[in-house]
Amino acid sequence: MTVTIQTPRLTLRQPDASDLDVFMAYTGGDRFRRERGEKPLPDQWSYFATLLGHWQICGFGRFLVTVKETDSVIGHIGPLFPAGWPEREIAWHLWSDEAVGKGYAFEAAQAAVRHAYADLGWDTAVSFILPQNTRSRRLAERLGAIIDPDAQGMSFDGVTTLVYRHPKHGVAA
Amino acid sequence: MTDTLQTTRLTLRRPVPSDWAAFLDFMMSDRSTAFGSHKDLARAFRSFAAELGHWDIFGYGMWAVTLRGDDTAIGLIGPWTPPDWPEPEVGWMILSDKAEGTGIATEAARAAIRHAYEVLGWPTVVSYIGPENTRSIRLAEKLGANLDPEAPQPKPDAPVLVYRHPRPAGAA
Repeated sequence: MTVTIQTPRLTLRQPDASDLDVFMAYTGGDRFRRERGEKPLPDQWSYFATLLGHWQICGFGRFLVTVKETDSVIGHIGPLFPAGWPEREIAWHLWSDEAVGKGYAFEAAQAAVRHAYADLGWDTAVSFILPQNTRSRRLAERLGAIIDPDAQGMSFDGVTTLVYRHPKHGVAA
Repeated sequence: MTDTLQTTRLTLRRPVPSDWAAFLDFMMSDRSTAFGSHKDLARAFRSFAAELGHWDIFGYGMWAVTLRGDDTAIGLIGPWTPPDWPEPEVGWMILSDKAEGTGIATEAARAAIRHAYEVLGWPTVVSYIGPENTRSIRLAEKLGANLDPEAPQPKPDAPVLVYRHPRPAGAA
């Protein structure tokens, strides 16, 4: 059974093996390189393999976000809670600069937060965001998330993330 | 595609999420010092998730090795072919001390190598082994594999030993 979420303009769908090529095109592309650095092909591949494995292990995971009108994949987003994570996260990644500025990330993230609270029954959800990632911080704030100064952040290359906690807007407890 | 192999004493089956506990025990133990995810919880999870994802992507992957009649994974053995790996590999991780000295790893590896040649139709099979991993080196030698110093390296900045497995007698 695969999981799909519809929003007005987007479809969030569980990735499968047939998405390998489109995912590798993203991880081999400019935007990924700019954000995450140069990664050799096996690392890019294992990122995708891990994305699929997370779904099998946890029963949930990050969706591929497609624009209904064009059927193009613009990002991956969704609930993430691998072993070693401080707490349950909603994570998002946009794949191309063209997808920026259209409100797609907001629309998808709102659906993902709602999914975590309403469908998965999470008590709370955060997003780990590096302080210098202003675009991502703006999105978290637009979603109504608030920095939780007491929460444990994650460390990437010696920099500790902020922890934005998502409110349960409109989701029945 | 065959998800399961049987040998005299063993069932090799596709790994499932519930094998995580056995995998994690291994990665947190001193048995796994030769592996990149040793004592690193987040990396161990990613390695295990990638084992499952490998099956999704290719329709084959490393099998969970179990004793017939006991579903507990005591090893992971089998095909491992991420893109950019210079040659197709049969890899192994012996998760449990209980397999030590029993010939279980040899039995499982022989079945996996035969499967790679006969069913997957690979032209050659190698195993990449860390230079310090003496247990794995012994297993490769017991299997009749030959060290190939000319073989291309999977990660040139961190060279490993490349053992090449001969085609088993009678294999197509």
